[in-house]
Amino acid sequence: MSVSRDEVQKIAQLAELHVDEAAWPALTEQMSRILDYVAQIAGVAATESEKPFIPGPAAVRFRADTVDPAPLALQPAQMAPAFREGFFLVPRLDAFEAPGEGTGEDAE
Amino acid sequence: MTAAADLSRVAADTVDRLARAGSLKALLTPIAEVQASLGGQAARVTPSGALAAMPVAVKDNICTLEFTTSCGSRILEGYRSPFEATAIARLKAAGALIAGKTNCDEFAMGSSTEHSAYGRTHHPLDPERVPGGSSGGSAALVAAGAVPAALGSETGGSVRQPAAFCGVVGIKPTYGRVSRYGLVAFGSSLDQIGVFGGTVSDAARVLCAISGRDPLDATCEDRDALAQPAEPENLQGFVVGIPKEYFPPDLDPGVRRACDRALGLLKQLGASLREVSLPHTAYAIPTYYIIAPAEASSNLARYDGVRYGPRFDGAVDVRALYRNTRGQGFGPEVRRRILVGTYVLSSGYYDAYYRRAQRMRALIAQDFRSVFEHGVDLLFTPSTPSLPFKAGEKLADPVAMYLADIFTVTANLAGLPALTLPIGRVDGLPVGGQFIGPAFQEAEMLEAAFALERVVPATGDA
Amino acid sequence: MSVTTWETVIGLETHVQLRTRSKMFCGCSTAFGAPPNTNVCPVCLGLPGALPTVNGHAIQLAVRAALALNCQVQLRSIFARKNYFYPDLPKGYQISQYEEPLATEGTLAFTSPDRGRVTATIVRLHVEEDAGKSLHDRFAKATAVDLNRSGVPLAEIVTGPDFRSPSEARAYLLALKEVLEYADVSDCDLEKGSLRVDANLSVRRIGDSALGTKTEVKNINSFAFVEKALAVERDRQIAVLAGGGHIEQQTMLYDAKSNAVRPQRTKEESKDYRYFPEPDLPPLVVPEAWLTDERAALPELPAAKRERFVTRFGLPAQDAAVLVQSRAVADYFEAVVGAGAEAKPAANWVMGEALADANARGGALRVPADALARLIALVKEGAVSHQAGKRVFAALAEGGGDPRAIAGSLGLLLVADENALARWVEEVLAAHTAEVARYRAGEAKLLAFFVGQVMKVSKGKADPKLVPALLTERLGGEPAASSG
Ligand SMILES: [Mg+2]
Ligand SMILES: [Zn+2]
Repeated sequence: MSVSRDEVQKIAQLAELHVDEAAWPALTEQMSRILDYVAQIAGVAATESEKPFIPGPAAVRFRADTVDPAPLALQPAQMAPAFREGFFLVPRLDAFEAPGEGTGEDAE
Repeated sequence: MTAAADLSRVAADTVDRLARAGSLKALLTPIAEVQASLGGQAARVTPSGALAAMPVAVKDNICTLEFTTSCGSRILEGYRSPFEATAIARLKAAGALIAGKTNCDEFAMGSSTEHSAYGRTHHPLDPERVPGGSSGGSAALVAAGAVPAALGSETGGSVRQPAAFCGVVGIKPTYGRVSRYGLVAFGSSLDQIGVFGGTVSDAARVLCAISGRDPLDATCEDRDALAQPAEPENLQGFVVGIPKEYFPPDLDPGVRRACDRALGLLKQLGASLREVSLPHTAYAIPTYYIIAPAEASSNLARYDGVRYGPRFDGAVDVRALYRNTRGQGFGPEVRRRILVGTYVLSSGYYDAYYRRAQRMRALIAQDFRSVFEHGVDLLFTPSTPSLPFKAGEKLADPVAMYLADIFTVTANLAGLPALTLPIGRVDGLPVGGQFIGPAFQEAEMLEAAFALERVVPATGDA
Repeated sequence: MSVTTWETVIGLETHVQLRTRSKMFCGCSTAFGAPPNTNVCPVCLGLPGALPTVNGHAIQLAVRAALALNCQVQLRSIFARKNYFYPDLPKGYQISQYEEPLATEGTLAFTSPDRGRVTATIVRLHVEEDAGKSLHDRFAKATAVDLNRSGVPLAEIVTGPDFRSPSEARAYLLALKEVLEYADVSDCDLEKGSLRVDANLSVRRIGDSALGTKTEVKNINSFAFVEKALAVERDRQIAVLAGGGHIEQQTMLYDAKSNAVRPQRTKEESKDYRYFPEPDLPPLVVPEAWLTDERAALPELPAAKRERFVTRFGLPAQDAAVLVQSRAVADYFEAVVGAGAEAKPAANWVMGEALADANARGGALRVPADALARLIALVKEGAVSHQAGKRVFAALAEGGGDPRAIAGSLGLLLVADENALARWVEEVLAAHTAEVARYRAGEAKLLAFFVGQVMKVSKGKADPKLVPALLTERLGGEPAASSG
């Protein structure tokens, strides 16, 4: 088996996915099977010079800096599972807590 | 009869047809809801468009204002998009009626439409078998004659493979030909909205209507909409390449017979045939099953139960909210792919998997470019390596399921246009033949398809 | 344990909000202070099916910042996704740049309080989007999320490990803020969060060449706290090492209320951002014309301006530093000089009255430059005294107008008329006969007393330059001998 249950568990934490206890053995086996299968590209000599292929336009187009938000047929309050006084709500986080690969309050 | 009366008759007729196809479990929208919506749509439609009064069913991963957009997933159960896809807006502008949302593998991940949270769709000719996937609902409805055309989406063959299984025409346009705005992302560098039609003409008309530049999608090319090509008398001057890697020894003999017959017909139409080689074809599936899950793991991170969709909690903290919502909201195949994708991007594995796959993708694209640069106009291949399989047959082995896409993923990896059309039947089941063309050469590809469609006994034994 | 046996090594990552009207990847407004979740759309809410489009002006501003920091601008760079989960990160990833950033290899010279002139290296400058805001104290049991800030354009500016003290780090930040404000790239308003700082800090024994294990210090929300936060973390690290411990590589969050750092509660090994190229955006290709245009449009930067104020206007370096701290003040000073004022008096008036008024009035330079130049001329020609000039300035600041007319209406114009002056002189001499006698007896220093008295009876209107000569004349010349 190419991946251990421990490794899959770590990946599941990174992906914020709960997996039922009973599902672990089969999942670990399937993950191993898939990863072994796709690893066959490692056997091909990697041509270092080969640039990655990016489909689509060669250069990004630029938008003018005008305030022109796309309309919403439903407002956040109508979509959110928990909403109060204009805010989305989640269970309380400590300001010092990073739930996943968190960063405190601001983007990094 | 007035145009309005005509439209409401089309609407009523569509509802009847959809109801008769109900046993396929291809449509996710309740029939009463389709009926109510079609009534409203018929009243509002301008009947002068290119698709006037054409009912078009839409895969459930394309955002519509008329119906919910669940992507075949619990995590978007009942989700109403507050905006619509560019392709939907264009369909409506062209006079089409949006005839409900169709079943699919959850988030378009699958090749059988068995991985839908809302149950599997049946093959229209054999309820024991799968219609292919992931756009199986759209393929089945077109095959059953419930609608003349439908939208699907492709990441690795999710239009062409079910179209081939169901015996209809399926087109995957060049990457960047049709706006992805409003298509729920799976593998962004591979995704493209595609179309199903009962005929090449119907499929092409819908493709023309939804194609063209869109400022809302940075990956959509700055090009005019595609114009409906003329149907050629013959294929004089066409050079059709036959890539030998697509005709392996273990190819289903029935599929091989149908392809040989189609190649003979192409020759009779005046095309010259040339054997070619796409040497990296064998690496397409592993390359695809690194890149697509990697992008998916990131694209599906937004389903966290914070801003929309249901929460599966009892959540005491944010982490529990995330893990329960995502753990219960996603089905097993989606979970697997998120995990594979997270793994191949994680530190220590990125170079061995993702970066290498990116390079391999470049080599696969280069294979096609060199063939097309050497005088080949189009490639002809089987669309699938086998006939429609039985439900449950490949569920236990994900890799076996992945191999169902072996002839289709290459066009997604290389960003090329491709089309499948029915070229005969084996044991009563449809076989699809595939054209793959150079980027943005949909017109030539459609011309060849028109010509072959006219002469091939699509429902005859091969 | 002594601080002097330890060397501190600091590198800074600064996020500045680019001054745009709309967000980085959607058409939503960047206006600060709107009701929560009102400046949002499918893109910045991370709705299924929404796609980003690039705000060209944001890129232009980032290019300008890169040029202002002497960076190598990469004509082709790549957007990348940084993946992590947080409630205010709607897509579960931030669109940023990683392996191929917009700009690299820049420099910024600044004056270190410890080492004099120091050149910091700018390792990279890249563009990215901001996250939303999480409010942890708004409700009792819930964190509130506002996505108005989600998608606001940022430039991230990363230095090498170039700073040797917290105060040096602060000096760099002030220099950076100055440059970015000059280039009109950003407001750099810490209160609005348009400039935010994270630091990497390590300590090592003086003489060691290898860097110590570093920690990341985040949540420094104000300039005032930069030095404090870094000093707290430096002292903590030194204490740990001096006690024989070792530094754990971790993220520390600064809490201004308690002036303390606390480790962020997250496992470092789970901090795996799984960067990969953003498949929703083609390569970022900067049109070469933008480079030319932005280079041409780049204003004179603070260092060059200070230099020129010293060489061209003959100002003391101290004055130049004060004037150049803000581009608006420097421009104002030049406008006053341009309207005919001499440089040094102009500098004095701008640094004195004008800055005091501006500071009291939220930064507005209320007296038009040409009016100030005319006021300076009035003082110079002696039409008003320096003291009276300040009253004229105050009046100009409140109501505008012509300095001479204002001085006149306030009765502040100095009287140079011989007859009028003579009357005041006679009045004073007549009233102080005893002092006149003492003066004549040789007490020459009483002249200043008489001048003061003349100013007093004239209510400050007598021209102080003419009064001494007139007094001397009426007193019959200077006393012959100095007898007392
Ligand atoms: Mg950053
Ligand atoms: Zn927005």
